[in-house]
Amino acid sequence: MLLHLCGWMQQSPAPIQSKSILILGGTAHLGNGKVIKDAAIAFENGKITFVKNLLLQNVDTLKFDVVLYTKNKHIYPGFIATNSTLGLMEVGAVRATLDYKEVGKYNPNARTITSFNTDSRIIPTVRTNGILIGQISPRGGIISGTSSVVQFDAWNWEDALINLDEGLHMKWPRYRVIKGSDKRYAENLEQLNVFFDKAKAYSFAETAEKDLKLEAIKSVFTADKRVYINANNVRQLKDIITFKKKYNIQRLSIVGGKQSILIPELLRENKISILLSRVHSLPQYRQDDIHNTYKAATILSNENVEFCFQNAGDMEQMQTRNLPFLAGTAVAYGLDYELAIKALTQTPAKILGLKNYGELKVGYSATLFISEGDALDIITNKVTHAFIDGRQLDLVNEQEKNYLKYKKKYNLKN
Amino acid sequence: MKRGFVFFLVLFGVNFVAQTDPFSPKNGITDKYVLAYVFKNAIIHVSSQETIDNGTLIIKDDKIVAVGQGINVPENSLVFDLKGKHIYHSFIELNSHFGIKKTTKKKWSSTPQYKTSKVGPYHWNEAIHPEYKAEKHYLYNQKIADGYLNKGFGIIISHDNNGIARGDGTLICLTNEKENQVLKESGATFYSFHKGNSNQVYPRSLMGSIALLRQFFIDVNWYNNSPKTTINLSYEAYLKQNSLPKIFSIDYKRDLFRAHKIATEHSLEFIYKGTGKEYENIEQVLKINPTIIVPVNFPKAMDVSDPYEAMKVSTNDLTHWKYASSNLALLEKNNLSFCITSDTLKSKAFFKNLSEAINKGLSYEKAYYSLTEEPAKILGIDNICGTLSKGNLANFIITNDTLFKKNTHIYENWVLGKRTVLKKEPKNDLRGTYNLNIEQQIRKLVVSGSLERPKATISYNIVADSISINGDVVIDSVSKKIFKIKKEIKQSVNIQRSDNTIQLSFPLTNDFIMLSGTIHFDSGSWDGGGQKKDGTWFKWSAIRNKKHSEKKKNNTIKVDTSNVFISNQHVDYLPEKLINTSNVHFKNATIWTVDSLGTIVGDLWIKDGIIKEVGKQIKITDTNELIIIDASDKHISPGIIDEHSHIAIERGVNEGSHAVTSEVRIGDVINPEDVNIYRQLAGGVTSAQLLHGSANPIGGQSAVIKLRWGANAEEMKIASAPGFIKFALGENVKQSNWGYSYSIRYPQTRMGVEQLYYDAFIRAKEYELNWSQYMALDKKKKTKAVAPKKDIQLDALVEIMNQKRFITCHSYVQSEINMLMHMADSMGFNINTFTHILEGYKVADKMKAHGAGGSTFSDWWAYKYEVRDAIPYNACLLSEMGIVTAVNSDDAEMARRLNQEAAKAVKYGGCSQEDALKLVTINPAKLLHIDDRTGSIQKNKDADVVLWSDNPLSIYAKVEQTYVDGKLLFDKNQNEIHEMQQNKIRSEIISEMLKYKAKGQPLSPLKKQNNVVHKCNKTIEIDN
Repeated sequence: MLLHLCGWMQQSPAPIQSKSILILGGTAHLGNGKVIKDAAIAFENGKITFVKNLLLQNVDTLKFDVVLYTKNKHIYPGFIATNSTLGLMEVGAVRATLDYKEVGKYNPNARTITSFNTDSRIIPTVRTNGILIGQISPRGGIISGTSSVVQFDAWNWEDALINLDEGLHMKWPRYRVIKGSDKRYAENLEQLNVFFDKAKAYSFAETAEKDLKLEAIKSVFTADKRVYINANNVRQLKDIITFKKKYNIQRLSIVGGKQSILIPELLRENKISILLSRVHSLPQYRQDDIHNTYKAATILSNENVEFCFQNAGDMEQMQTRNLPFLAGTAVAYGLDYELAIKALTQTPAKILGLKNYGELKVGYSATLFISEGDALDIITNKVTHAFIDGRQLDLVNEQEKNYLKYKKKYNLKN
Repeated sequence: MKRGFVFFLVLFGVNFVAQTDPFSPKNGITDKYVLAYVFKNAIIHVSSQETIDNGTLIIKDDKIVAVGQGINVPENSLVFDLKGKHIYHSFIELNSHFGIKKTTKKKWSSTPQYKTSKVGPYHWNEAIHPEYKAEKHYLYNQKIADGYLNKGFGIIISHDNNGIARGDGTLICLTNEKENQVLKESGATFYSFHKGNSNQVYPRSLMGSIALLRQFFIDVNWYNNSPKTTINLSYEAYLKQNSLPKIFSIDYKRDLFRAHKIATEHSLEFIYKGTGKEYENIEQVLKINPTIIVPVNFPKAMDVSDPYEAMKVSTNDLTHWKYASSNLALLEKNNLSFCITSDTLKSKAFFKNLSEAINKGLSYEKAYYSLTEEPAKILGIDNICGTLSKGNLANFIITNDTLFKKNTHIYENWVLGKRTVLKKEPKNDLRGTYNLNIEQQIRKLVVSGSLERPKATISYNIVADSISINGDVVIDSVSKKIFKIKKEIKQSVNIQRSDNTIQLSFPLTNDFIMLSGTIHFDSGSWDGGGQKKDGTWFKWSAIRNKKHSEKKKNNTIKVDTSNVFISNQHVDYLPEKLINTSNVHFKNATIWTVDSLGTIVGDLWIKDGIIKEVGKQIKITDTNELIIIDASDKHISPGIIDEHSHIAIERGVNEGSHAVTSEVRIGDVINPEDVNIYRQLAGGVTSAQLLHGSANPIGGQSAVIKLRWGANAEEMKIASAPGFIKFALGENVKQSNWGYSYSIRYPQTRMGVEQLYYDAFIRAKEYELNWSQYMALDKKKKTKAVAPKKDIQLDALVEIMNQKRFITCHSYVQSEINMLMHMADSMGFNINTFTHILEGYKVADKMKAHGAGGSTFSDWWAYKYEVRDAIPYNACLLSEMGIVTAVNSDDAEMARRLNQEAAKAVKYGGCSQEDALKLVTINPAKLLHIDDRTGSIQKNKDADVVLWSDNPLSIYAKVEQTYVDGKLLFDKNQNEIHEMQQNKIRSEIISEMLKYKAKGQPLSPLKKQNNVVHKCNKTIEIDN
């Protein structure tokens, strides 16, 4: 059995796929909500060449350079971390290592991609749990900036890039009623509308002088760029719907959306998807159902609102590795298992505009991983192999090395 | 209360002879004659127990000289006939800062202030200033005084509500004569837990305030009993006023119990200014039987018209709106002594709220008593006021009706025999039906309209031609004459009065009549002269034969106690029904005993809070009211124990101002109503160590609690657990991430941290030695010697050295971990637990040699520079090294999933599942020295157990039931019912509030619920 393709020290980032690989046996979670209990998946030159059901179809193992026998194991498309600051934030308390938040309220032109540090020490600890792709997103202000999608095994940001400048990130103004109304909220909205009026006008003008900020909005109106708006409360969500209609924004997602479960039909009707607020968080209000954050995904799923998981919040960069377990908790509280996988793979890929990622499907990128057991459960998530575009990743990270170093020092067996 | 009353004030000057200052020289001719005032025919409410109908009150100068029935009225006195009116003693206010000039807070400076900025021999902390004299700082303010007079007050005690030991309050009579204002220079002394305007960093938490006050009471006693060469004016002032009543201002309901604990500890007695929420914890309040000055500032309805916005309002704020007015009735019912304060209320709201309280069952007598006799007693002035007895001060109010009724108002407020008219009595009522006699012709005159602006009509009969419907004159068929009929004419009259004269004018047939006359109030008649159109004069009179009768306004009190608060504690999530479960048999469960029995499929029997039997086959010897639970396919684990928690802590997790704060105690500031207790029960947590934060090398003392949801703060503590204390190392204690201005406190480096520990423990050793030397003295010598000063900070350190208090030390980097073990070794004690201990894997061998345990995060890292080498394999490696290892939360959310955090030890490092579960059960129990009672499923241990739907380490495991001491405090099904019930309570109250809105009544803006969670070094507000 060839568990490790190469006996030598693995190169990281991994070299281009040179050998054809067959994954034989095991449960394949396709990412589209479907599952094959006894599957065979082949890939060559970074692309999936077939996905077969061994109960129904035959596979000729001799045709492949490498065969991975994965009976009783699980195969998943690489999980996608949306709304992530990985590579932009290294040590939370050290300002010198923080590159996720620009100064000012309106920063549409600030792009995360050029600040994305492929050599972040955190990224290898994230890959080992099956998270292979990330949307690197800015924070702060009202318009935070522009995100790009990257894969997590790269020499530099150009190498990492999957989808350049795909999203505009915003933080919807906070609505806080003080004495019957919220003046500041109204002012902020007015300001935002003025800005978008300008941007819309600019997008039609042909001879206009270059305005960096407005230029960055242009592609929003052509639906080439998706708008991601951080907001939680119903009032904000409703105002965002009005905003979407007013500027005819085709592609718009809510980030967070704690109260989206209160108005799912409105969100569905207006084709708004949700990058769901961290599952492992406390309810907003004392009187709330104590498990409402655990149940939110199930409610959205039952209501046919498009959603995916994300992990923004306290210590978010290092917590990215727990993304699969957020989905696991959602399953515990009612979400269908394969739909949970979908919300980590196909749905985020669709939202992020990734054409060939997020599914185990012929012609798609061979970005996938094999886990000894259920990848959503902590005690069974054990990633033995991971591939990005067919390249096999080195799954040993610094933390494990440190562990092994001290185990050796203390003569510990196990 | 009648609208407009408060606007209709006429404040008279003092028209009567004033007592003059006997010491000051006179200018002009002396006013010698002192007039006596007699108030007769009044209903005199001498006290809450004694009322004299038709009585007489006589005052002379500033005193009451006689009160009773049938008293001889002295000659040459001024008599007021108060028929139908009431006389009450005026009220006494104990909670006021009348006329006190606010000390302005110094400008904020980015550099923290560690020392007092006060010059002179005073207490080291600016929040402790017993030397403050209110009399020196107050300035009589007529406008504010008028406000109090309107509310019926005559005497108030005024203090500056600033600081922890606030100084005294001065007892003032509400008269504008400066020389007669002050009744007592110092009437009481005042305390609180608020540091007020002090800019000194210490204290910055509630527990710090408590410690500061405790140490102050110790210090002042020691000062008093020890010889001194120099004096401290703060202590001197305190000692001088020690016999005065001490009034403690409680601004949060649970502070009542905290202040009372201090009182008990130092043999003091406090009077408490309460919160008005005493009803919420009435049982606990009754246990301490306090005297409370209760506010009646009931909340207004909120604008809850937007249902999504209304979610922001806490259930408690909703229920308080509904039940606040029944607070006093409940206190009375339980025989508590209380006063009432009008602070922050204007007269209209004050009386409205009092009448509401009476509607809810407060007796009129108790209300009157608590505004007069009780406060007089508290201040020790019941020999001169409080009742309308002979010899007492002439402080009283005159009202139209019994107090606290809806339409009762105060006419006059007399203070020290000086009159203030608040509302002019209405003029005599002219309204009624009169016979108006002009030149012997009687016509009917009806006076109606309002009392102040009467209207009049005159009506009389004339004989006129009869006219048919079609307008023809009707002719009598027999006499052929025009048929005559009687016809009534009604004519409106111009009417004008001023005092006792009246003018009327009106047209009369072809004439115009003008009348002017005098009103005779006793007979109700008018007479005078008049003139006709042609200028002729005549005489006229009018005699009233019927008085105006108005629909009587309802001024009776309707008592409605249907809305009286019933539930004893926080209404949300308390599964009342379940609390009493005591005898439960779980069948066929997979039981993770984490004990020698291992994991078995078998039965568990719990009864009376104890695990009775556990095994593959057990015998149930008592089936009385036995509940049998079929737990096939289910799992049972011991209750989870969180070694590192910051939930259920009120107003500050970190004292963190000084580098050493071992004097503060989390146990003083437990919040048993923190909803995170319940949320964590739903995650299977049954015990937790509530820790001080990590802002200083020696933090505060911990509280080890069980999550006994529904119990009070003291009951939550695990009685058998020894003391613990938080230490901290690394970036937080050297203030690395606090900003540049925080770079003056020692220590700023890890070098300094070490030296600080040595310094503290050497001080503690010397302190201990001083005490042991003193205690060793024989009786005779002891009486002569001065006892060392007790120091609650050093006491805690001495306990550590004597292994009576154990250290949980926040730690990350190997160098400092090593250092602390060396320091402890050299001082002869042991570090019980390194918490966080993220580089523990690097010094595991040394920890083992020292005997330290570790309580770590499962996988946290990269949030600070000092955690860049943290690895998720840490817990596993430490365990393998034979170190007692736990996995903790430090996070209110994560604590709900400590089972998942333990599971990470299986993933990272390959711990066995059973060993992984131990990380959150028996191991933390061992670290907290409570493993004899909890932490594993073992016969005779406390029945702290959790029923899971699945393998507790699986992410799919959900808690179905959690038992603490055998009590079922979380149940999945009951939880759903409770949620529904709570929603019902909320929506009922919200719809009641909406009725207020519909009526157009004034509403207050939405009050957002406060939602914060604490970590070691930060407090996070949950975005609402």
